[in-house]
Amino acid sequence: MLSRVADAVFWMARYMERTDNVLRALRTNYIASQDEIQNFDWQLWIDGLGATTQRSEAKLAYRDALYQLLMNKENDNAVLTNIVRARENARSVQDYVTKEVWQCMNDYYHLIRDKHTEYLILHGDPVTAFDNLLRESTLFYGTVDITMNRGEGYTFLSLGKYIERMLRSLDILELKIKELDKHDNELVQWKYLLYSLSGYEFHTKFYRNTLSTENVIHQIIINVQFPHSVLYCLLQVERYFKRLDTISLPEHFKEMEFLLGRAVSNLRYGAPAKPSVQNIMPLIESTRKEIKSLSQKLATLYFGYS
Amino acid sequence: MSFASLLMEYTTRPNIWDEMCAQGEIRKHYQLFFDSLSQVAPAELAHKDELAKKLFMSQGITFTVYSDGEGIEKIFPFDIIPRIITAAEWQHIEAGIKQRIKALNIFLKDIYHDQFIIKDGIMPASLVHSCPNFLREMVDVDVPFNIYTHISGIDLIRDSDGSFYVLEDNLRTPSGVSYMLENRNMTYRVFPGLLPRNNVRSVKDYPDLLLKNLLAISNRQKSNPTVVLLTPGIFNSAYFEHTTLARLMGVELVEGRDLVVDNAKVYMKTTAGLKQVDIIYRRVDDDFVDPLIFNPNSILGVSGLYYAYRMGNVAIVNAPGNGVADDKAIYPFVPAMIKYYMNEEPILKTVPTYAMDNPEHFKHVFENIPKMVIKKTNESGGYGMLMGSACTEQQVIDYKKEVEKNPRQFIAQPIISLSSVPCFINNKIQPRHVDLRPFALYGPQGIEIVPGGLTRVALREGSLVVNSSQGGGSKDTWILS
Repeated sequence: MLSRVADAVFWMARYMERTDNVLRALRTNYIASQDEIQNFDWQLWIDGLGATTQRSEAKLAYRDALYQLLMNKENDNAVLTNIVRARENARSVQDYVTKEVWQCMNDYYHLIRDKHTEYLILHGDPVTAFDNLLRESTLFYGTVDITMNRGEGYTFLSLGKYIERMLRSLDILELKIKELDKHDNELVQWKYLLYSLSGYEFHTKFYRNTLSTENVIHQIIINVQFPHSVLYCLLQVERYFKRLDTISLPEHFKEMEFLLGRAVSNLRYGAPAKPSVQNIMPLIESTRKEIKSLSQKLATLYFGYS
Repeated sequence: MSFASLLMEYTTRPNIWDEMCAQGEIRKHYQLFFDSLSQVAPAELAHKDELAKKLFMSQGITFTVYSDGEGIEKIFPFDIIPRIITAAEWQHIEAGIKQRIKALNIFLKDIYHDQFIIKDGIMPASLVHSCPNFLREMVDVDVPFNIYTHISGIDLIRDSDGSFYVLEDNLRTPSGVSYMLENRNMTYRVFPGLLPRNNVRSVKDYPDLLLKNLLAISNRQKSNPTVVLLTPGIFNSAYFEHTTLARLMGVELVEGRDLVVDNAKVYMKTTAGLKQVDIIYRRVDDDFVDPLIFNPNSILGVSGLYYAYRMGNVAIVNAPGNGVADDKAIYPFVPAMIKYYMNEEPILKTVPTYAMDNPEHFKHVFENIPKMVIKKTNESGGYGMLMGSACTEQQVIDYKKEVEKNPRQFIAQPIISLSSVPCFINNKIQPRHVDLRPFALYGPQGIEIVPGGLTRVALREGSLVVNSSQGGGSKDTWILS
């Protein structure tokens, strides 16, 4: 396939995954901010998600924060901007993704720009807006699954999806750890974290006892049954990458294969036996760095079309 | 109130051919459609109209106007009431277009080789050589199967007596065919059941025919040649059409930056390295295809592409240099071409045309300006023209000055009042003017025309300008079998 197309499909998947992860996290946070936590600090999330707008001095009210995070066009990392980018990528490869996928992206785009969505976020019930948007997101995954052929395009799409998901899980975990300082009840915080990664129910079933820091971090970093765990995603990246064997130039394939193998080993054997808030931070840092350089390598070796 | 009563208010104007009504009576070929709708309430029609708009939007059949970073989505206006053409009319149109394209194609071959038409005094040499779209680079280049005009769109209009005239030929990169296909898809959503009941001929073969022709002109002895569609990119207003055609044909949609020429062969840059390209269906204008030969500032094309083409290593569709044949100043010579090359009488009429570099014509045109339209010979899209019936005196004076500067670049024609069709506008059925652009495909096995075309509508009341850039819309076109 064309390198440009591979690049666009990869980034379409990354922006869609980012949108989905961010929406789930924000939905949980919003509910948390309404429920039991006093003085929810939205600024932490606005900074954490890399908002590019002017930082406000005063403490942000939740509606303003939601506006910033979801639909402020000025914010380069708002959900709206992500969807616009995903769609622009899809548009430039419209003949490559299926018609169904394109229409799905298109509906998503029209939904977030819809007046009613804006109303819900600014004046109505934001949870309804979150749910509507997340439904479109889920539709996207389903549509990709049942309409896209399992060729190269699907491989690059999956690579994009899992690379992005790893980074999001790391980011969200890190943000939560930062947030812990400001709250007394650590366990409630972990609960919200698991909710925002759709992992709470799994946690109760898998670990079979009350929440503990150790188990939560284990789940997010190396539990291979948890689809948002970093190791799970990394193994998926490795698995999909292997499919490129037949089409790759041998030296390119070898280089990437080595980097991936090393990253998997580093995570699997480098994770602390008893993870804690203190000893996990260096691992988050180094893993993030490794994934980013992996992604860059992929771009140089496979998307270098200009 | 029903459709029938809405129609009571439908008033056609005198001296204009209405496609549906003749002296207050519904024409026979509209009767069945009319009967099926007669019980439909106007509110229901408005609902259908709304549905069509929504479908266009959600399917992304839009073009984007970019302003400050984020695009604004627009749809090409679509009118839900189809335009209907009888089998007999279509037979006439089809024969006429085939004849015309054959002649124009021989003309292109002739003009870039021996120029018999000039030597025999049928056409003045100065006319050809003063045409900016005559490409010297194409002289003595042999194109595969001697086909230049693989895809052409011929614009037809109907005069007050109902006869078809050719308004202009589009032989370079005619667009609009995706709307022919999408408008049809819209009709069966908006009026379920009506298409089969009316025996409307299908248009969906178009992509298959096009792909068949493209594959057939490959120069390489290869069972599975590589076809690509070259687009200027997502900012082009016809980008939707490019993606639709690429998808329907299953070929790669490439941009100039995806291609590279090495040793006079064209390759595309893929994840698995370079892959040779055999046929390029380009939707990039001549001037932009190769910065080494044509416009050096172009980044839409590929350096060295033209050389690869001349070496016969890649086929380009349509051939470069076709602009000399659809030049508006060449247009009046097409009937003579048909006689000269084919010894046949032209089947379709052409509009009388005055060359503005002829002083007598110049005088005649400006004396009768209210009845005239003046056009630039190399512009399309309805730009740069003066409608004598709808302009101020000052505009005429300014335009005259413009013409005097370079009279070769202008022609004039008497204004032909385009035929009208019923349209659903503002909850009323109102007449609007239309033209018709059928698309002809020329391959090694001959010329084929998919039974259909793009009917463009001038949505403003009384307007005769149907171009989408000037407030035009379109409607589905039914050819009855």
